[in-house]
Amino acid sequence: METKHKILILDDDTDWLDTCRDFLAQLPSQPEIRIAASGVRALAMLDAQKFRVLICDLKMPRMDGLQVLSIVRRRFPSLRTVVLTGLQDDQFRSRAYALGVDLFWLKPDMQENSQMFLDCIESLLGREDADGFRDNQARNLLDVIRMECLADNSSMLKITSGNLVAKIWFHHGELVDAAAEGADGEAAFRRILKWKSGTFESLPAEPEHVRTITKSVDALVAESEQRIDKYVNPGSPEELEQQKLVEQLAAIAVEGAEFLVSIPAKKEIAPKSWGVKSTENLTAWARHAEKTALRLGEILSAGPLNYVAGNNLERQLLLLPQNGKTLVVGWPPEAIGEKLFEQTKKLTFAWDS
Amino acid sequence: MGFLNWFSNPGPTVHNLPSGSFTVDRHGKVMSATVGANFPASLLHEIAGEILSLFKEARTAQMPLAEVSLDFAGLQVSARDMQGGAIIFLSPKNPLATPSPATAKP
Repeated sequence: METKHKILILDDDTDWLDTCRDFLAQLPSQPEIRIAASGVRALAMLDAQKFRVLICDLKMPRMDGLQVLSIVRRRFPSLRTVVLTGLQDDQFRSRAYALGVDLFWLKPDMQENSQMFLDCIESLLGREDADGFRDNQARNLLDVIRMECLADNSSMLKITSGNLVAKIWFHHGELVDAAAEGADGEAAFRRILKWKSGTFESLPAEPEHVRTITKSVDALVAESEQRIDKYVNPGSPEELEQQKLVEQLAAIAVEGAEFLVSIPAKKEIAPKSWGVKSTENLTAWARHAEKTALRLGEILSAGPLNYVAGNNLERQLLLLPQNGKTLVVGWPPEAIGEKLFEQTKKLTFAWDS
Repeated sequence: MGFLNWFSNPGPTVHNLPSGSFTVDRHGKVMSATVGANFPASLLHEIAGEILSLFKEARTAQMPLAEVSLDFAGLQVSARDMQGGAIIFLSPKNPLATPSPATAKP
């Protein structure tokens, strides 16, 4: 029985989603068309079922299109990706192509050349799955390494840059060994991180491989990042701050949180946040909740407070008291409750480091 | 008879961590409880007041919550909003207990 291909359209504009869905219904192969209004939702749908093509907007709240595409490229390498955006800026076009998208269309062009757009999408649907791994390393190899670790993977990452070949071994999410340019261990790992471009493929694990790297991944990556920063970009404080922000946002995107607010103990210092328009209400509740919980803990002699959690149909909240501040992280309702505490702690580490 | 008073003089008491559940109405009045009778009613009332205030503050902050959970090293307090009132569960943690497969973390 012939199965229909599936297309997922991601855009924060629900009217546009409806228009686009109706428009793509004209495709000759009659694919199933699904829609998602947020990056998190789209990633959940991609996890749940197999899609052939993702059509993605770039400008979206919380998680933008480039963030979604970078995650999609790693997790679903065979998925065909199309950017459909209103942003007429060549910078975005080149960044999208650097992430390996198959097509980049502007929304006005798509409306003017509708038949050509349909032909392009039909052509993507018709292509056979290419064998092997398709990816590029231009964005940031560190992200790939972090994802291997966070996913507790056991694998061997083979990285090719021109005629150079490097290998990195992972065992249960731990960096075990690396080899590149005649070096091995930590020295090889540092050399690999200096490579500017290349491709990589994930190969089966080699559990018997001898471990030569004993430092924790975070320590080694942090050490390498410092070296790269000093080497590539001596960096102004503003640039370093920007780099730190990018790292923090990448951690949030990887974990799948919807928003994060870091509330200092002193009321006169403004909270730092990501993914929320206004922190005023949330901050007021968080301060009250933490105070209440601490008071209850004291009354009952229940020991130190680990966290306060709350949920409704729209989201789950997790409040984590930290040294001198409170972190509130919003998670989608489908996130698994048992894992939220650990995931929030990971985010806290990324946010503070 | 003086020495009898000496024996009956109550010293400071240590309460065990409460275990069980209880329901309260929107005014914080305890309606029913399965918490041990030796646990002071005044403390139950105090817990109820704090939990209801958490739900109330969340509503004030325009993010009403259906459930709230406070996790301490020795006790978990979970509550579900019930039209302004709440049902509250008190579950002491036993650090020596082996988690059952159903609750064990992967």
